[in-house]
Amino acid sequence: MKNSYSDKVFVGIIHAVLLALVIITLYPMIYVTFASISDAAQLITYKGFLYKPLGFSVEAYKSVFHNPAILKGYRNTLFILVFGVTTNLIVTALGAYVLSRRNVMWNKVFIFMVVLTMFFSGGLIPLYLVVKQVGLIDSLWATILPFTVNTFNLIIMRTAFMTVPESLEESAKIDGANHFTILFRIIIPLSMPVIAVMILYYAVEKWNGWFYASIFIKERELYPLQLTLREILIANNTDAMSSGANAADQFQIGETIKYATIMVASVPILVLYPFVQKYFVKGVMIGAVKG
Amino acid sequence: MRKGTDATFTARFKRDFVLNKYLYLMMVPVLAYYVTFHYAPMYGAIIAFKEYAPMKGILGSDWVGLDNFKAFFGSYYFWRILKNTVLISLYSLCFEFPAPIILAILINELTNKRFQRFVQTVTYMPYFISLVVICGMIKDFTNSGGVINTLFTYFGANDTAMLQKPELFRSIYILSEIWQKIGWESIIYLAALMSIDQEQYEAARIDGASRWKQIWHITLPGILPTISIMFILRVGNLLNVGWEKIILLYNPSTYDTADVISSFVYRKGLLEFGWSYSSAVGLFNSVINLLLLIAANRLSRKMSENSLW
Amino acid sequence: MKKNRKKLFSMLVFTSLMGIMTVACSSNTTNTASSGSASPAAGGTTAPSASAGAATTYPMKTDKSLTYWGELPGNLTGVKAAHADIPFFQDWQKKTGVPLKFTAPPTNQTTQTLNVMLASGELPDMIEYNWLGDFPGGPEKAIKDGYILKLNDAIDKYAPNLKKYLKEHPEIDKQVKTDNGSYYAFPFIRGDDYLRVYQGPIIRKDWLDDLGLPVPETIDDWYTTLKAFKEKKGATAALSVVSVPRPFNELTNGAFAGAFGVTRDFYIDNGTIKFGPAEKGYKDFLATFHKWYEEGLIDKNFATADGKALDANIASGATGVTVNNAGGGIGKWQPLITAKDPKATLIGAPYPVLKKGDIAMYSQKDPANAPGGSVAITAKSKNVEVAAKLLDYGYSDDGRMFFNFGTEGVSYKNENGYPKYTDLVMKNPDKLAPAQALSLYIRGNYNGPFVQDKRYVEQYLAMQTQRDAVSTWSKTDVDKHKLPPITATPEESTELAKIMTDLNTLVDEMTLKIILGTEPVDSFDKYIEKFKSVKLDRAIEIKKASLDRYNKR
Repeated sequence: MKNSYSDKVFVGIIHAVLLALVIITLYPMIYVTFASISDAAQLITYKGFLYKPLGFSVEAYKSVFHNPAILKGYRNTLFILVFGVTTNLIVTALGAYVLSRRNVMWNKVFIFMVVLTMFFSGGLIPLYLVVKQVGLIDSLWATILPFTVNTFNLIIMRTAFMTVPESLEESAKIDGANHFTILFRIIIPLSMPVIAVMILYYAVEKWNGWFYASIFIKERELYPLQLTLREILIANNTDAMSSGANAADQFQIGETIKYATIMVASVPILVLYPFVQKYFVKGVMIGAVKG
Repeated sequence: MRKGTDATFTARFKRDFVLNKYLYLMMVPVLAYYVTFHYAPMYGAIIAFKEYAPMKGILGSDWVGLDNFKAFFGSYYFWRILKNTVLISLYSLCFEFPAPIILAILINELTNKRFQRFVQTVTYMPYFISLVVICGMIKDFTNSGGVINTLFTYFGANDTAMLQKPELFRSIYILSEIWQKIGWESIIYLAALMSIDQEQYEAARIDGASRWKQIWHITLPGILPTISIMFILRVGNLLNVGWEKIILLYNPSTYDTADVISSFVYRKGLLEFGWSYSSAVGLFNSVINLLLLIAANRLSRKMSENSLW
Repeated sequence: MKKNRKKLFSMLVFTSLMGIMTVACSSNTTNTASSGSASPAAGGTTAPSASAGAATTYPMKTDKSLTYWGELPGNLTGVKAAHADIPFFQDWQKKTGVPLKFTAPPTNQTTQTLNVMLASGELPDMIEYNWLGDFPGGPEKAIKDGYILKLNDAIDKYAPNLKKYLKEHPEIDKQVKTDNGSYYAFPFIRGDDYLRVYQGPIIRKDWLDDLGLPVPETIDDWYTTLKAFKEKKGATAALSVVSVPRPFNELTNGAFAGAFGVTRDFYIDNGTIKFGPAEKGYKDFLATFHKWYEEGLIDKNFATADGKALDANIASGATGVTVNNAGGGIGKWQPLITAKDPKATLIGAPYPVLKKGDIAMYSQKDPANAPGGSVAITAKSKNVEVAAKLLDYGYSDDGRMFFNFGTEGVSYKNENGYPKYTDLVMKNPDKLAPAQALSLYIRGNYNGPFVQDKRYVEQYLAMQTQRDAVSTWSKTDVDKHKLPPITATPEESTELAKIMTDLNTLVDEMTLKIILGTEPVDSFDKYIEKFKSVKLDRAIEIKKASLDRYNKR
């Protein structure tokens, strides 16, 4: 096996390109991190690249965490994440499995029905009325059940399930396996990378959600994190009538609060990715087929 | 020509049911979801044909037929916003769509696991930074006196406020889209890459194929199903250029290239609460998008046998 | 990642437009105005009938508990999570004797939440909302479709204080009614002209002093001053303004353009309604600004400048002139520049004119009746009498003191008859900004069902420069030219919105392109043609019809 010269050059170029990409994609995070711990007054006057924090101040974080609603927000969002993503996965996997089977008479109809919902919707009010009728108003489940299946994810999962070789299924069927066994013992384990991605997609979707919570949930105790953060952000950034002696501090802090809010909102979910990466293991099982 | 006996519908139906009844059982929760939360409320789509009054509810509001659509098509700027929407989407399809694929392939080529993980994690971070902050940065960089201009002046170019130039808007928009989303969008392709049979690479290496040839003949075909589906879905969103980023980056001096359907409707919404109008526009978008999706699906089926249906 | 964008499309349109509207309503203004001519003759105005209801004694004795829907005061986000926790609302219930149950929509989600609530049919007794500006079809439609109550009877019988006030102020009476003469909500009224002005040109006084220049008055003065700022003070963006959402946002209030006899809006000129950007004066204005831009006197990033950019420009000394608010502008920037240079001072400069001695023809002045914060009683409420009496409290003498100044001894002290805010609010021990501390105890600093008192803002604008600025900016002829808060009928308003979207886009493009130099000044004439083709004339017709109806109220 020759490690040809062209191969070495090739690998070198790849490294260089990726390194450059890393630098420019790392910058926004660096900016936000430094800005969130900077002194507000200096931050406002500053233009250009931020390669270190300007002064040092944790006032922004204090302001954000001072709000008792934040802790409740984390708790609610955690609930939504755990129960939501589980529901999402189970139902989506069932759907993806069925739709990926061949020789099922109604599959074409189902797929069309499902895809159609990506294009046409009745809008907010009818959805609200349905959610109300089902009795979900003012419950955290109102942000979970009406969004059980994300059609885009369903299609991705289905595509992944379709790439599992038929021969594996055949031999399982011969051994007397039913659909559930096939799904859970063969298809899913072989599609772990995609499943991991689905977990990530659904988790991020749930984590970032605030809009439907604002419509379906009236009880402030149940506000998810993003909704609370959003209120803080807006309150600190409107120009309305700020004046007078201490007002300037209020306004200045608004700048750094914006960044602290982003940190609080995104760091927990960013941390999720490394865990998901563990599942990005190259296809090991496929080899088992030939044997 | 059907062999044998089961030509009638009822016969086929019965046989299919017997064969697949567990599958249909598994489908029940999925169908229940779609019917309850998507199809039951769908009557609301007729709001596009009505003059919506919140008090009367959707069914009680006055029917205005195609008025909302006429208002939209007859707008002085209709062709401009349509053109801009399509152009931005096409540019996006050309440049922003392949970028994550290329990134995934490059990452896949790395052998150093630590660097691989590092690249993956870092590149996907900008996706989580709020759009307002990202656009704030873009403005900062491209402003007269900003870093990009400073860089260009070293090479003799003039310092220009880049966001005031309509000819630059699309480039700025697309490049920053790539910047923000390339990492996140590459995840699905990375997952797809994992399912490619490693033995194929072994065989190719033994045959003396270069890295480049391996990519071309093994990697790409391996993730073609994913690429195809993503492509079809992307085409099905052609008219959906979102207003948030456009609004944050555009201004009247770049309306010629930057004003799209969604941003125009947004401005209209500031003057009047046209639920019906925006619904009509949305419906128009949806119909066109659906037609495009069907076309893309057909094309993909013919070319690569991967398709939605 | 294209997920269910299609669904979010419509939703997001309205979510954020609400966001923008909320901010816009509290600082900048649209085309509403004070009373037209100054003549006090009340002839023709229909004030409520003479038979006054008996005055209510507060606190009332009632066993009914009422429901109230309204946003939490924006100032208190993060401080208090519910109305029930805010001392002002607690005291309000005590003073009126009516227990209240509050429901608050999430910040900035008011319109969405309201629509959903209306659709579901579960209505509270009272709804606090901007019926005039944020409800499709306007308040008359809200009444017609059976949501809110037409209050003429209720005010007549149960709200003597409000009735009396409206009788004494016929111009305001006109503003709070619909064209059909219906009262639809208990309004928020700025009780004094002083409260209605808050925006105008702002300039670095210390720079003027250093350069030996007087405060500029004419356009030529401004040119000289800006040049001096650029050349001698190193101001790279001597004149800088906010261009989001529209280029030179404050232009709608006539700064600089007013010197040429126009503003970027509809206005009245000797009895006729005109549209500023279609008049010759606007061309002259654009030509002047273009010249200034070419010479580097205006921010090069003029088109993209947002609030943040302006803050940075002023704080760093790149800018010496802008157009903004006394509260949110001077109040915000003064400490920033003082930190860098103790002598730095921002003051309000008069609206520019063409010739020395002229009076500016237009300026910012909000109407006395500001639409936000008005409280309607819902049509199905079973407690109309109690609700009306409750809401009437804000207009009584006691109520007025309470809403504006709070409780004596707690939030204000009586100093020779002048209600002075205590340190509890102005120098809050918990480090709350005055705006926040005030909102805990009073309602004077945001909209609500009462008459705002001038003495609130006199104390709120803590700096003399701010108060002087308001006085400076009040000296214009805007009353002669500004349109009163007219309303269009629902059919008209649909037609008008369609015209205005196209028209505003044209105006904004024309303004920017000529100022930036992308198109020559003479292309102005081409734009006039385009205005015609998007039916500017029809828009003026509609405005005239609305104005005629308004005058007949």
